[in-house]
Amino acid sequence: MADLAQLRDAIINGNAKAAAAVVDAAIAEGAEPMALIHGYMIPAMDEVGRRFECEEYFVPELLLSARAMKAALAPLRPLLTSSGVPPAGKVLIGTVKGDLHDIGKNLVSSLLEGGGFEVVDLGSDVSPRKFVEAAQSTGADIIALSALLTVTMPSMKYTIEALKEVGLRDKVKVIIGGAPVTQQYADQIGADGYSENATLAVALARRLMSGARQATA
Amino acid sequence: MAEYVLLHPEPGKILSDQLFALGIEFPCGGCSACGGCRVRLMSGTIPITEGMREALSEEELGEGWRLACQAETDGPVSLDIEQWSASILTDESRVAVEPSEGYGAVIDLGTTTLVVELVDLATGSVAGVLPGLNPQGRHGSDVMSRIEFDLREPGVLTSLIRRTLGAMLAELVRGRKPREVLICGNTVMHHLFCGESVEPLSHVPFRPSAPGERRFLAEELGWPEETHGAAVTFLPCAGGFVGSDLLAGLIACGMHQSETPMALMDLGTNGEIALGGRNGILCASTAAGPAFEGGRIRMGMRAGDGAIDRVEHDGSGLVCHVIGGSAPRGICGSGLVDAAAVSLETGAIGASGRLSNGAKSLSLAGAVSLSQADIRELQLAKGAVAAGMEVLRQEAGTEAPRVSSLHLAGAFGNYVRTGSARRIGLLPRWEAPVNPIGNSAVRGSRTLLLSPSRRQSLLDDLLRITRHVELGANPEFQEAFVENMIFP
Repeated sequence: MADLAQLRDAIINGNAKAAAAVVDAAIAEGAEPMALIHGYMIPAMDEVGRRFECEEYFVPELLLSARAMKAALAPLRPLLTSSGVPPAGKVLIGTVKGDLHDIGKNLVSSLLEGGGFEVVDLGSDVSPRKFVEAAQSTGADIIALSALLTVTMPSMKYTIEALKEVGLRDKVKVIIGGAPVTQQYADQIGADGYSENATLAVALARRLMSGARQATA
Repeated sequence: MAEYVLLHPEPGKILSDQLFALGIEFPCGGCSACGGCRVRLMSGTIPITEGMREALSEEELGEGWRLACQAETDGPVSLDIEQWSASILTDESRVAVEPSEGYGAVIDLGTTTLVVELVDLATGSVAGVLPGLNPQGRHGSDVMSRIEFDLREPGVLTSLIRRTLGAMLAELVRGRKPREVLICGNTVMHHLFCGESVEPLSHVPFRPSAPGERRFLAEELGWPEETHGAAVTFLPCAGGFVGSDLLAGLIACGMHQSETPMALMDLGTNGEIALGGRNGILCASTAAGPAFEGGRIRMGMRAGDGAIDRVEHDGSGLVCHVIGGSAPRGICGSGLVDAAAVSLETGAIGASGRLSNGAKSLSLAGAVSLSQADIRELQLAKGAVAAGMEVLRQEAGTEAPRVSSLHLAGAFGNYVRTGSARRIGLLPRWEAPVNPIGNSAVRGSRTLLLSPSRRQSLLDDLLRITRHVELGANPEFQEAFVENMIFP
């Protein structure tokens, strides 16, 4: 039997190889993918998030854990698709136009994937138009915008305006983040949410998804 | 014994204007984000604002700590000013002279500090030096916040810096009118002084609008009469955010003539690094931020009286050296690097940067301590610099053992202990000897001032062989940055 407690530990400790090895062994033994994800992997990332929150973990540990999560998810993904299990939601993510900083954005992207979301990463220096086109072609539930420079923050506002113009604004949730971004700014430009760090962004996305489901129910 | 300042507020004026006149700096530009402008209220009242609540703890507020940038009052107040006067590195070392008549001047226009030097053109000797603080500092401590400010209020920073430098030069002149003035500084300082648009520097691809050499007459700049007639030249930028201060540094350390590859690290507010030799030089700027100057560190301060500037372990506990021998009031960049290096050795800090055994802070001396967040700031700053140098080395295809020397410029580079800087991974673990060279920007500029016939060809050659590498656009940098946040 694959020792599944090791899967949790491997993700918490950022050991990608070990995490993937346990998952491979578990699959060979016929383990249920969703049981692995919800029983061990997502709780492990929640623990990583908790450690980051209380300053025990820093960016490098967060990144290593996110990589381990990704490595563990890779062999599970084809099984999930074939079994028709829907992802937690589809997120379009990118650093806004004029800005190249993407360490934070990449972290959020990995953590969202770890949290069961399907993530489409548009990279950095992404124009409002590109966000809109991608939103149209992917049918994303959430668009996540990142900016590290105060001077590029207005691009977030322009992206929201561009979504309005094509009539997409009420079909997607827009969440924003990055060092100079605040809740106040999010309110000001009419974003649906703001997160001050990568781990809280996952909780925010989950909250918005459950809100959206209730609204449509 | 702390010195208190008694202020009588002027009606209709916020207190921060008066405090700035006293030399208080507002590292984040006065938006209550950093808590760097703490003052302690000894008498009178300053109402607590929302921003103060966010930046200061209940306990600190109870002790009378307030943020100067948000301070408002109706009556007289007396304050204990936490910040202290800066120690600014000047340079008076001798360089080669091509003698001519009269006087000239060189100016190092730094993001944080200014140095104006009057030079005897016949002998090359320094006839007078005046250090100062960049008055733009109140509108943000780093280049990005200056750009943002200039985009909001165009022209303010330009007239501020022109006026200050003109006044400083006039004070030095005293009848010894300079024929020529050379100014060096990073690209943002260059553009703001010259009145060029900094808008292109606010977004990708961060390309300066007019990076070339610029010439003015002193009277055009509105400088005082004592300086009239002087030809003022702002030296050309190297590329991106890297300016003539780095070019001058290359001249000072002789990189442009070196057969073997050398490295230069200028760790000011805007960290600039270079690697190369006579056949080619790569340079880059890293957003190291102000941590090495005590910025964004909870009890951080510049290397002035009361700053812990050295930390050692004597076998039984930490031994802290305090500048001026007084009671410790805070910690400066070199003390911070020492404290981290020693704590890595004793195990008080782990390789991940985490304080051991769940400790919330690391006591140094007196009431001065480092918090977990302070160590994270240091990890970000040193990670950026180390990653930048690593990317330059890879880009140049230089094998580490071939680097013959590593020059450290700037005040922090002059005082930091190289053993500690290596221990925390700020300096590369190359075998090359480390050589602190002081204010290389001033020395290199003086070399140019004193060699008028060779100046143009020297600058042309330098610009020809020097290539700027944009780190922000480099995926290898992002990777190396995260890896270098960890302590070796």
